[in-house]
Amino acid sequence: MAKTVFDKEMFLDLVVNFIPLFILLFFIVGYTVYNPFGIDTTFRSLQYALIVTPFIMLTILTYLSAKAIGTSERDAPVYLPGGATVDGAEPVEEHEE
Amino acid sequence: MQITGQLALTVVMGLFLVVIAAWLAQIEDWRSYTPIGSGGATGESGYVSKEKPAGISRWLTTVDHKDIGLLYGAYGVIAFVVGGLMIMLMRIELLDPEMTLLSNSFYNSLLTSHGITMLFLFGTPIIAAFANYLVPLLIGADDMAFPRINAIAFWLLPPGALLIWAGFFPLGDIVPAQTAWTLYTPLSAGVGGGSQANAGVDLMILGLHLTGVSATMGSINFIATILTERGEKVTWANLDIFSWTILTQSGLILFAFPLLGSALIMLLLDRNLGTTFFAIEAGGTMLWQHLFWFFGHPEVYILVLPPMGIVSYVLPRFSGRRLFGFKFVVYSTLAIGVLSYGVWAHHMFATGMDPRLRASFMAVSLAIAIPSAVKTFNWITTMWNGRVRLTTPMLFCVGFISNFILGGVTGVFLASIPVDLVLHDTYYVVGHFHYIVMGAIAFAGFAGLYYWFPMFTGRMYQRRLGKIHFWTWMIGSNITFFAMIVLGYGGMPRRYATYLPQFATFHQVATLGAVLMFIGGLVWTYNFVVSWLEGPKVQDGDPWNLREDGMYTNEWQWFENKQETALADGGDEEEAVTDGGTTEAEAEAEAED
Amino acid sequence: MDEQPGLSDQYRRASPWPLFVALGIPIAEVGILFDVFAVAVAGLLLFCGSVTGMLRESGYAETPWRPLGAFAILLFVVGGTLAFTDVNLVTRGYAIITAGGLLAAAGIGGELFVPKREAV
Ligand code: HEM
Ligand SMILES: [Cu+2]
Repeated sequence: MAKTVFDKEMFLDLVVNFIPLFILLFFIVGYTVYNPFGIDTTFRSLQYALIVTPFIMLTILTYLSAKAIGTSERDAPVYLPGGATVDGAEPVEEHEE
Repeated sequence: MQITGQLALTVVMGLFLVVIAAWLAQIEDWRSYTPIGSGGATGESGYVSKEKPAGISRWLTTVDHKDIGLLYGAYGVIAFVVGGLMIMLMRIELLDPEMTLLSNSFYNSLLTSHGITMLFLFGTPIIAAFANYLVPLLIGADDMAFPRINAIAFWLLPPGALLIWAGFFPLGDIVPAQTAWTLYTPLSAGVGGGSQANAGVDLMILGLHLTGVSATMGSINFIATILTERGEKVTWANLDIFSWTILTQSGLILFAFPLLGSALIMLLLDRNLGTTFFAIEAGGTMLWQHLFWFFGHPEVYILVLPPMGIVSYVLPRFSGRRLFGFKFVVYSTLAIGVLSYGVWAHHMFATGMDPRLRASFMAVSLAIAIPSAVKTFNWITTMWNGRVRLTTPMLFCVGFISNFILGGVTGVFLASIPVDLVLHDTYYVVGHFHYIVMGAIAFAGFAGLYYWFPMFTGRMYQRRLGKIHFWTWMIGSNITFFAMIVLGYGGMPRRYATYLPQFATFHQVATLGAVLMFIGGLVWTYNFVVSWLEGPKVQDGDPWNLREDGMYTNEWQWFENKQETALADGGDEEEAVTDGGTTEAEAEAEAED
Repeated sequence: MDEQPGLSDQYRRASPWPLFVALGIPIAEVGILFDVFAVAVAGLLLFCGSVTGMLRESGYAETPWRPLGAFAILLFVVGGTLAFTDVNLVTRGYAIITAGGLLAAAGIGGELFVPKREAV
């Protein structure tokens, strides 16, 4: 666990999940600033819970999966996805795409 | 009278158990008259035929993931045909505005059964077919983590189907359910007139419950398999995309289906034993809807993620280059998995729920569109400047993308509250989800069936017929579902056997598309049956010439090894050759396979 | 397990039990839900018996008798709850208890009278 697996390239890959996170954040802020439906504590808190929960869950899952993928990338040879057990498979070079 | 009935039933059930016990005793005793290791030299090396009994028993007793995959596949295809024939009757009824061919109540029954058949008896099982056959091969595992549970999960499905269809069989006064696939209470709780209190509804709910148990068992198995049974070289960093989608899908199933199961049991108790979970004065009308859609929306992603995996997997093979942004696709798959639990009430925007909550569900529904859109761009970019080979599986993949875009865009519109309030419960919704369910999910399923046909059967299908199948379906589905979108804009409500005359034209157009798809379906059936029986044998382990592009993958490697072993043995299991040194009895047994 | 070779020992990739586990569940469900005594009992016997067969086959249990006994106890508890408490589903409870009784008889009988090696 010497070097962190979260380097710049990893962050680029994770952008894909930052976008929905950002949209959720946008609505969290938006509903705070603009609230046409009046104050009702129960429903207000439910309203936030319904957006905040997916936000947190998505953050956690993204973190965990990124860590799992990053760690295996660092510690083991990376083959073509689905191609590791092909006869004479060679590890692929670093950059995909 | 009553007593003799009971007695007769007891005798019947007793006999039934005795027959089973006798069969078990006989089959478990096999060994006493089949000397082990007979067949001399080849006895040890013929790897498949020595692991399973012959004939029909093989299929009844198998716990091999490949056999179970084939069973799931056969089951899914049969259900697809049944559901397809149901809808053909309905589409013909809809040719004219009046009630002509079918009674309204029979139409409702078909509607209910069509939906449930396609989602639970075709969609989920056909995905399980691919997953069972391929995932262990793709991740370098010997088999699933729990092979017997795997077999149980499959065998729950045929009784499930019989129960779901029970109302259509001539069984006394049991009539088919007319609740629609969503089973909304209080209607489905047996309240009101009509046939809603009939036992046919109970049987259907039981059948649904069984398929749910089956899916849950399967998902536990897949999660355990992918987490623990991966081969040494298969790491998270090179796990293939199809297995990723199956892993995510299994996670979704694990949280969604048990909830459906519990809700269904509550419904059964309400119907039969006098509980009041869903009574107006207790749970109210909304409780069922919340429970159902908390399952229901994840269910649609349960159905779409693995097909997305198939497309992500197959499309690059015929584009001559790797999937663009592989990790984007992985992370967005996971994102869809999580977010799909936060959007369920977009099916309930029109119910008068609290506007604040509604707004939240809209927010998450819009957020979930991003990961789906990202994948679309990845697929398109993968083809861009690639060496595209328009084989039948590739055509189905491209068709998938096209239809998925239309289905997805209409979905995003529906996710916006003001738009949904206008379009809810119209044919627009029907068009939306059919673009996805038929246009995308089924297309991807067929892409997979064509792509792996050589592996499943050892033979090649007729390419021309495959292309005819694709084009009839591509054109047919777009005619039908686009007509539905137009009908929805016009205000045609869904789930009716009759309609106002002004909708007739587009209904007729929709039926035309359905007929086209029906013809395509016939072509496909003919092609697969004939090719399976007498198509040209696949000669090598690389029928798609993937090696040329460096795109060869694990499952074909397995296939190649199998082919080579079969050659060395003088025949594979299906084509037992008697001169391989086997005894006559065994050769006969193998030939029966 | 080695002394009791059956289908599943000869053929690594086959087992006769899953089919019947899967059949037992719907039969028992239908029987209990619609309160049809014979169907409920038969379904429960089929299910519990097949699970037991599977446990033995996969080596989790040496003989089928103990698992049968365990199932019997379970069914007694469930059936008793249905029949003798406020739940008040008497006939269904009796069906479950009957199935439990038959399983218990098989389990106890097997434990006492069947010589160790010829099980099943
Ligand atoms: C791109 C993301 C998607 C969005 C934003 C979306 C949105 C919606 C919305 C808002 C509705 C409710 C319409 C109404 O009843 O008024 C709906 C219905 C439906 N959607 Fe989607 N959808 C999406 C993707 C999918 C996918 C991938 C599937 C299938 C695999 C699907 C299947 C369905 C089904 C089956 C219904 C109808 C349910 C019913 O009322 O019977 N949707 N969709
Ligand atoms: Cu939804």
